[in-house]
Amino acid sequence: MAVTFTLNGQQRRYSGDPRTSLMDALRRDFRLTGTKDVCGEGFCGACLVHIDGVPKVSCLLPIGAVEGADVTTIEGVGDLGTLNPVQQAFEDFDVVQCGMCFPGMVMTLSHFLQDNPRPSRDEVKSALVGNICRCTGYERIIDAVMSLHNSAEGRK
Amino acid sequence: MDSANTDALFLRPTDIKAALVAMDGGAVPVAGGTWVMRASLRGDSNDQAFVSLSQIDALHEVAEGEDFLRIGALVTHDHLADFARNLPELGALTQAAGMSANPAIRRTATIGGNICARGFTAADLVPALLALNATVEVHSSSRQDTTPIAEYLQARTQRRAAGLLTTISVPRKRGHSAHARALLRKAGEYPIANISAFIDMDANNTIKTVRIAVGAVEAMPKRWHSLEKALLGQPFSADAADMARDLLDDFTPRDSVDAPDWYRLRVLPGLVRQAFASITDQSREDA
Amino acid sequence: MNDLKETVVMNLPRRDARDKLQGRTKYTVDVGGLEMLHAALRRADVASAKIRHIDVRAALAMPGVHAIATAADAPGLHGLGIADHPIFAGETVRYHGEPIAAVAADTLTQARAAAAAIVVEYDDLPAVLTMADALAPDAALVHPDWRNYEILFEGGARGGNVAWQATVERGDTDAAFAREDVTIVENVYQVGRQNHVPFEPRAVTAAFEDGRYHIHTSTQAPWTVKHVTARVLGVPDSAVHVTVPAVGGGFGLKFDCSLEPYAAILARKTGRTVSQVNSRKEEMMTCLCRENADIRIRSAVTKDGDIVGREATVLMDCGAYGGEQVFLTTMTAHTLGGNYKLGSVRLCTKAVYTNTPPNGAFRACNGVYNTFALERHTDEICAAIGMDPVAFRRRNVVGDGDIGATGQVFRGNVLEPMLDQLTAKYPVERRSGTLPDGRLYGRATTVGTWFIFVGPSAATVNLNADGSATLVTAGVEIGSGTMMQSLPQIVAANLGIHPDKVIVKTADTDAAGRDLGVGGGRTTVSIGAASEAACAQVRDKLLGVVAELLQTSADKLVLSGGRVEIQGRPGSGTTIEKIVQQAETSIGPLSGSGAFTAPGERSMPGCAAGHFIDAIDIPVFAVHDCEVAVDPVTGHVEILSYRLVQDVGLALNPRAIHGQIQGGVVQGIGYALTEEITINSDGAFDQTGFETYRMPLAGDVLPIEFDLYEGAPSIGPLGTKGAGEVPILNVAAAIGCAVSNATGKSVNALPMTPPRVAALIDGKAPAPEMGHIDTVWVKNLVRS
Repeated sequence: MAVTFTLNGQQRRYSGDPRTSLMDALRRDFRLTGTKDVCGEGFCGACLVHIDGVPKVSCLLPIGAVEGADVTTIEGVGDLGTLNPVQQAFEDFDVVQCGMCFPGMVMTLSHFLQDNPRPSRDEVKSALVGNICRCTGYERIIDAVMSLHNSAEGRK
Repeated sequence: MDSANTDALFLRPTDIKAALVAMDGGAVPVAGGTWVMRASLRGDSNDQAFVSLSQIDALHEVAEGEDFLRIGALVTHDHLADFARNLPELGALTQAAGMSANPAIRRTATIGGNICARGFTAADLVPALLALNATVEVHSSSRQDTTPIAEYLQARTQRRAAGLLTTISVPRKRGHSAHARALLRKAGEYPIANISAFIDMDANNTIKTVRIAVGAVEAMPKRWHSLEKALLGQPFSADAADMARDLLDDFTPRDSVDAPDWYRLRVLPGLVRQAFASITDQSREDA
Repeated sequence: MNDLKETVVMNLPRRDARDKLQGRTKYTVDVGGLEMLHAALRRADVASAKIRHIDVRAALAMPGVHAIATAADAPGLHGLGIADHPIFAGETVRYHGEPIAAVAADTLTQARAAAAAIVVEYDDLPAVLTMADALAPDAALVHPDWRNYEILFEGGARGGNVAWQATVERGDTDAAFAREDVTIVENVYQVGRQNHVPFEPRAVTAAFEDGRYHIHTSTQAPWTVKHVTARVLGVPDSAVHVTVPAVGGGFGLKFDCSLEPYAAILARKTGRTVSQVNSRKEEMMTCLCRENADIRIRSAVTKDGDIVGREATVLMDCGAYGGEQVFLTTMTAHTLGGNYKLGSVRLCTKAVYTNTPPNGAFRACNGVYNTFALERHTDEICAAIGMDPVAFRRRNVVGDGDIGATGQVFRGNVLEPMLDQLTAKYPVERRSGTLPDGRLYGRATTVGTWFIFVGPSAATVNLNADGSATLVTAGVEIGSGTMMQSLPQIVAANLGIHPDKVIVKTADTDAAGRDLGVGGGRTTVSIGAASEAACAQVRDKLLGVVAELLQTSADKLVLSGGRVEIQGRPGSGTTIEKIVQQAETSIGPLSGSGAFTAPGERSMPGCAAGHFIDAIDIPVFAVHDCEVAVDPVTGHVEILSYRLVQDVGLALNPRAIHGQIQGGVVQGIGYALTEEITINSDGAFDQTGFETYRMPLAGDVLPIEFDLYEGAPSIGPLGTKGAGEVPILNVAAAIGCAVSNATGKSVNALPMTPPRVAALIDGKAPAPEMGHIDTVWVKNLVRS
């Protein structure tokens, strides 16, 4: 029996080996390459997707486990052509460098800010424990996040 | 790949009995999956079928009784931290579950996986369960056993996944507990060493009950009996970290790529101080 | 053209951000398709062995397998300075992880299974895993046949396990050290490797069509990939075509050809497009790391603080093949032998073969540890002669007219005013002490010199009929933003249009001329200069057309706001579109081409031997200062503040430079404090993934406070210097010196992980064993 789930709002089926990681299935079979394969161990956050609205590590999730679930990847964030507020803040602050970590950053922060609309810098850093960036040195990412609710701690 | 084959590769039983049958057939039990999915990185072959436990409702339950907290094996770190937050005596469990790994992993990794992942030397929940005197319920095809967690850990090193760990029972006793971890960075890594401490004091703040469990220092977590003995009957204000410094002989620390053996011991007194400081804060909040 | 400085400087946002944020960018790892085959390498799991027997027959018969390549398919050797490097181990394995065969199959799983099924029989050979082992008398030779290797660049002494030696001798150091009025300070330093960990691993897709190899790859140096692939395959360079999409991080790892030849061979053998991607484990274990190094340095200093003599020997571990380390032996002179005025100097740098994975170039390369060693040594000198560390540096930093280690003459006073600027802004109250929470406080101020890696770059600019311009270069966008920002800004300013109207063609070796590669701060300078030259040609042609039209002389015309106008009369003239359309019919489509290469700064003859670069054309200076708090029990080092002044010439895009500074310093923090690579008795890295290789996370960093220093002399376009590399240069130095001040102990090894700092504080960290570097300088020399 194939695995049936909702992917970016559409019903999809996967008929391969259900032990395949969700990440591999997304990238290879569904050709959604925005979810990135970086560490394969759950430390870097580049493969994060939303499962039933909550960020999870897709490289360690067998696709069989998302039967019936609602899966959203970076491609499903926001509408085509529109950036969500987190993405827009990153664009406004011009923080992107190589770009590989940013889909994961967006997935984490979009969810985090729903429950924590006015975080401190330290709270944002705690939220990002599972999102590694090799290029930016983080602080400008935090600046962009802090600007989202005109927090006094944010700065351009 | 035809779908008949794929069924056999990923089983999704809805009850414990069916899960046990699958395991007897050679399938690997999968909880959150974060350990099993890294098998190839450990050099383990991973061609066995998976039996996913996530469809067994009973394993997801957390039940708060007057005397016990019963936790299903598939409860995630995240859910456990949320739940246990309301139970002051279980501070060690709340803290351990709330600071392990990283946020996304905490939403997937389970308490059952933390206990059962073979070869995992740096578990955070296990020392907390040890310090809180937890027991585990293990189902096998013929029987159901309830064992103190220390015994279960010991026995597990000797036999291969006999049965399925289904429930963890944590007694709710009067007192406070805390968990502290030593890392090389600020967060986001497995601990070099960790400690869980449970303390109950009498009205004069004399230590009536004390249990201290240490993890990641040896291959398996264990209780720090000599420090417990030294602290029993002492005022809570006694310098436990100082005492700990003289009682490191209880441990034969492991050497690893991450840290040398002596360093694991070196950080222990500081962890004791941290755990005790947290218990102090918690006691003040009560007052 | 000074007014160009006004129009060129802007915080132009990068045009590729949106796609990256939405996960739309197709990096090489994202390219796929059902027709593509997948490649996997069979790698040696021993450090040193003769291959007695390879049998691929069983593997070839496995499901999905299309072809297997081995040494017979790639006869050529490549290298820098010496051609010592085959892409497959044929008869001899020299490092754990060395490729022995490459398999192409329908799926990656099938390719990996087949690779594992190849039969390989080894006869173990002795292995030298450390430089001390490699330099011991009667050490096993990693390259017994070293004498017969083709020399690609003359001048380096070689021999035994020394792949290359570079030396500097200027003045009489023996006399300097023999003086009665000097204090002699001698130190040793030992540093470990650092892994770049680009989030996109090395990856390539290759096809063989129309008799040529078409390679689409994640690289920083498409022309290097072209040349090395051709060389090892034994085909002409023109048979190889390289294209490069967005690259997900490089930091120097991708400055060399890597996986491309394997994929190319398999593409030819199978007639299909072949994709090859390093797994993260492969990427970690066969990274072309910043090399580990051993340093012995001594100086003779008068009581007033004059450095009358300096001698040093640096051993750089190449790993099994010479690679970048052969070239980088050159940089000791400009870093360890840099920063300060030296009365006399002798430097010996040896690139040493070991049976370990080859090393490579990583952001400021050996500059990072040479600066660490030099600045630590400088603080030791200050302690020995009782002089304030900032005062000593002010007195001794090179300035206008001073000569460097190889005798080059520096222009401009740069380091001194930068040092003054920092210390004026952040006055030093104390350098050591104890904090209220019991932690040890330390502060240090350090200086550094690096260089812009100039060299050949080519550019073509096509002016289009709609008023846009296309910039064609072999530049690659690896994340720093230069291709998205600085380059279109330069072209736009030169043509009087907005940067948004400058199309930047992605790298294609069939379209653009030769380029040395992206890295070493050279993109803005070298590619920028070539682009400016191309723009100059376009301007000449364009203004020539207009001059004739308006019956005026070209020197009275300006390009501004998309128009060609008569100087001083805004609104006069006409739009660029109109001119281009006019020109296309009269003289043809308008384009210009430009080139840039190393102008060739002069050194003092006879000083330098075995050097690839005798004198640096564009030095880049840095002043870094930090405060730390050290936990005396756990050994944790927390950085309380980090400030710097960076010499940028001209800041084309200050916001982008901020990004490079924040990112580069954090990579330096990782190098200094948390990133450790250890090599076990199998000759393999212990750190095989992100669990064991610890990079800084968000909670481990802090905002870097910085000032950009402008105006120092630079031959770069509009006086700019590259800004992307140098932020990392001084970080280990600043932190190392601050930790020494905090603990009162000499830091002489990196990384300063918590256990190492704890041992240091306890007095249980003896100076590194350095018996393999003779205290008598001349005894270290290899005589060829």
